[in-house]
Amino acid sequence: MIRAARVGAIGAIAGIVIVLALGFRYDPHDIRSATVGKPAPAFALPSLEGGGTVDLASYRGKVVVVNFFASWCIPCKQEHAAIASAWSRYRTADVVLIGTLYQDDADAGREFMRRLGGGWPTAIDGDGRVALSFGVFGIPETFFISRDGVIAGRHIGPIDEETLIAGIEAIRTGPAGR
Amino acid sequence: MSAGRVALALAVAALAVAIAISARPAPQSDAERADAIAAELRCPVCQGLSVRDSPSETARQMRDLVTQRVREGRTDDQIRDEFRRSYGDWVLLSPPATGWTGLVWALPIALVAGGFLVAGGALRRSTRTAGGSEAPTPAQLATLRERAATEDEHE
Repeated sequence: MIRAARVGAIGAIAGIVIVLALGFRYDPHDIRSATVGKPAPAFALPSLEGGGTVDLASYRGKVVVVNFFASWCIPCKQEHAAIASAWSRYRTADVVLIGTLYQDDADAGREFMRRLGGGWPTAIDGDGRVALSFGVFGIPETFFISRDGVIAGRHIGPIDEETLIAGIEAIRTGPAGR
Repeated sequence: MSAGRVALALAVAALAVAIAISARPAPQSDAERADAIAAELRCPVCQGLSVRDSPSETARQMRDLVTQRVREGRTDDQIRDEFRRSYGDWVLLSPPATGWTGLVWALPIALVAGGFLVAGGALRRSTRTAGGSEAPTPAQLATLRERAATEDEHE
């Protein structure tokens, strides 16, 4: 009886230790995305610059970076220089950057782009449907889409130039990017 | 069949029909359905709030999408699956009992079952011990009497 209780107690402690050991392996800030590895949701949104639409399908065959932002978002301002720098680096290459204005007024978005500089295609996600279909948690958020239209990576929070380049190059030099 | 039996059968049938009707879920309006689905979805920008209860802009957009999908005639499962495709099982406040989530459900049940097994084993052992004081068989009695007689003779 005592032996069975001892074995039971040891088993319970071992079980708790195993569960904790497995649980502590995960970073609680690392939110797993359900959309990474899946085809990017199609969208054709009105262009922020006015006139026409920004259609994701028209960029098939290129490496696409989709960045969700808003003019009221402080981290979006912080990352803007890195995005602008990456745009200058890749604008003549087979890489497209799409800014997606989320939960924001179009005029405020235009003013934001005018003040901080830009030039890459920017779309207005007025009702947030595109952000929801990508599984956006909060802005800024950046998605890397491979040439075959599959979401290859995602970055939550303000992105720096190094991370942007690494994400783009991972696709360009990877099997799906060649 | 007597009239009494027929009346009894009719009463039983009527009761069964009444129970079946009352057990049927009441038809919901589109707004009620949308509300119920929104209550099952987790708001991505909140701390443990449902899409129905959150005042955030993201939750409002999600509620609008749910309402639109209900109006379009999508089933509850189709609407839930649309959000699961974007956010995974995380978006459901009561995720399906698979993987780690399943362990959370299964572990307490396994522990209770284990407790019952241990208690059952202990009970069986104590019954077996008590069985040792049962009345001796005639053969055992004869042996005991013989031993007692031998000991008396020695004294």
